[in-house]
Amino acid sequence: MSLDDGARSRLDTLIGTHEVTLFMKGTRQQPQCGFSNTVVQILDTLIPDYQTVDVLADSDLRENIKLYSAWPTIPQLYVKGEFIGGCDIIQELFQSGELATTFGIQLPEPGDVSIHISDAAADQLRQVLEQQGGPERELQMSIDARFQANMFLGPAGGAEIVIESNGVALRMDLISASRADGLSIDVVDTPQGPGFKIDNPRAPRLRPLSVGELKQLLDAGEAFELMDVRTVAERETAAIDGSTLMDDEQAARLEALPKDTKLVFHCHHGGRSQQAAEHFAALGFTNVFNVVGGIDAWSNEIDRNVPNY
Amino acid sequence: MALQILNAGEGDAEKVTEDLRGRIEDAIEGAEVRVTANGPGHFEIRVVSNSFEGLSRVKQQQRVYGAITELMAGPNAPVHAIDKLECLLP
Repeated sequence: MSLDDGARSRLDTLIGTHEVTLFMKGTRQQPQCGFSNTVVQILDTLIPDYQTVDVLADSDLRENIKLYSAWPTIPQLYVKGEFIGGCDIIQELFQSGELATTFGIQLPEPGDVSIHISDAAADQLRQVLEQQGGPERELQMSIDARFQANMFLGPAGGAEIVIESNGVALRMDLISASRADGLSIDVVDTPQGPGFKIDNPRAPRLRPLSVGELKQLLDAGEAFELMDVRTVAERETAAIDGSTLMDDEQAARLEALPKDTKLVFHCHHGGRSQQAAEHFAALGFTNVFNVVGGIDAWSNEIDRNVPNY
Repeated sequence: MALQILNAGEGDAEKVTEDLRGRIEDAIEGAEVRVTANGPGHFEIRVVSNSFEGLSRVKQQQRVYGAITELMAGPNAPVHAIDKLECLLP
């Protein structure tokens, strides 16, 4: 029994279209097996997005991937086209920090990370710790790959670093800590009462760009990606010179670019491009812009030769 | 899953053990191979070979798994799981 050429090339293509592919039982949202679930949990802490392939949905694929990888079990992880391993190996690589390095995450040393807890937040946190804290309930924070921060009380794991500010000690695992330098915690009033507000300057930011600023960028000849996320028909009606129509192939190309690449998105009025820009910001891109007012504003303010529609 | 385990009955364990050992020895020349049956369909494998030198653990294991995938494929596979696979240098 061996893998035929057609099946091999289909798998080559499947693995080649994404930087990270996980063959698993079930989906990222609903893993159907404990081993697959373990790997999903690990990947979620490391990277914002990756491709999953459900082998339960396709029995041929389920057998073929085993032959392709010379690996008898599912899950199987591929990074940049290379087979990394199954659940056991992924856990080991995660614990040793090697997997984080594979994904370009630099693990900090104690002292590399400083945060700022405001006076009001420090008072609140001390109250929480007095009432609910204890040896098994230390103050911790985790920050996931999409920069969602979560504060909780729990037992110290041993591998985290302890960051102090304003007399309050906060524990963070190393991967979360790699995303935390410069973070500040304050207290704000919300309709539900006072709440903690966590501000993280390292979180990817999506910024608005006016059509005037876009014109300046284009005139300056600076390298950046100007993506048109409208339909083919709209583009035939009107287009901005220097823009590229977004499709699956272009999306895959952008995803593979360095995360500090300047990405500018536009559509007709700025709604659809906002969604596209948010998607790429969530992937970890730090230099993402949405053109306010879209091509309609471009026609009105910059280039009357581009028709309104 | 239960069906698979029933199919790989106790009586087959010795035959499957030999089959596993033979295939690995064929694929990795000069390898010292030990296969232990752990119960229906479950096996432990220990392979000692010079040819593992310089290979990552995954690549070492891929060499062994590549030789025996056929025994692990399909719904009636005689091998349900390799509980432990050790790849060692002499």
